[in-house]
Amino acid sequence: MDGFSVKIAQMESTMSLYGREVVIAFAVIVFGLILIKWINQGLKRVFKKLPISPAKGATVRNIITVVMSAALISFVAIQLGLAPRPVVRFLAILTLGVIGLVVVFRPLIPSLPFKVGNTVKIGNLLGKIEATTILNTQMRTFDGKTFFVPNRQILNDIVINYHFSDNRRIKINVGIRYDQDLMKAKQILESIMIEDPRVKPKPGPVVYVLNLTNNCVELGGRCWVDNMKYWVTKCDLLEKTKYRFDNEGIAIAFPQLDVNYYNKSDLPVCTDQNRLQGHGVAFESTIEEDRIC
Amino acid sequence: MKISEGLKVIEKGWIIKPKGYRVKYQKLINSELITEYSPDLEAEPLDSDVVAWRYAWKLYMATKSDLPEINDGELINIFVVDDSDNPVKYYTTNQLEVFNRREINV
Repeated sequence: MDGFSVKIAQMESTMSLYGREVVIAFAVIVFGLILIKWINQGLKRVFKKLPISPAKGATVRNIITVVMSAALISFVAIQLGLAPRPVVRFLAILTLGVIGLVVVFRPLIPSLPFKVGNTVKIGNLLGKIEATTILNTQMRTFDGKTFFVPNRQILNDIVINYHFSDNRRIKINVGIRYDQDLMKAKQILESIMIEDPRVKPKPGPVVYVLNLTNNCVELGGRCWVDNMKYWVTKCDLLEKTKYRFDNEGIAIAFPQLDVNYYNKSDLPVCTDQNRLQGHGVAFESTIEEDRIC
Repeated sequence: MKISEGLKVIEKGWIIKPKGYRVKYQKLINSELITEYSPDLEAEPLDSDVVAWRYAWKLYMATKSDLPEINDGELINIFVVDDSDNPVKYYTTNQLEVFNRREINV
């Protein structure tokens, strides 16, 4: 008999001895995995209806899945003829080992700076985290698109997690015309922020004159609100600012450019004194050269 | 007076922050005029007067009729109040405003 025939004969004898157990174990594994997956999906649906956070729900589901998988492996091992006690011991040692490794090396393991359900900005993407896996993160942007961002890219990029702080500052920047009552405008803007119940009293709202630009006096209102109410409050305050300024007769500035037109006769004669004082700017090429400064 | 004391004076005297807003309206049921709120007095009020006024306007648009008499289910005298039941000025006009204003003699 050649080597191949010997191997076939050995397999035959092995299968005749343990074949039934192997087939049963295989069937149990397949059936068990399908059952675990089915239970996992059922739990997902149940947890969605319960008032618990998605992150906590995912953790509980993962724990249940790991426990069920361990029970399935133990059952299959016992089906294959292994003694129950060593199997349980092995699984216990394995579990403790994994927990120990995770505890010891946790500070060294790069972790994602957010949890499921957080609103984050990764690079140019702003949205809500729906799920995380070992390879990528599922994120849903506010216009309804689902992105699968590689975790490698997230760890190398700047991430803003809006859930790390409870409060957030709102900026209301508005430009008014130079001929408007600046103090009145400041008071109106401050009142709008102070009167809103969502605006925090401490630190209180403030209004600054941010800039004197070419077109306007730029006012900057600053106030703090709950993180979760940031967007709607900001939109409401902007809307109220527009209406209140209109009602109080404060004109919001538009970009503008003043053009001064001089008649030929009005142009100052170009002297050294006028040149020094910067008088007389002319745009027309027909003007006599000696009149242009 | 210390700054902290001054701030307390400002807080008490000027900064009147409503805790929330409700839409107040009247409804004619069995020839009886009933005043109701939305959200109910037991429920959490709305935290934005802008949202409350938009809500009031939508209620008005959804229930208004061109007939001179008031229909069943039609909401009249719709306006926004704060948590102390004081009328809130409409933020677009800075005036007290009432949608579907009707004088009722029942």
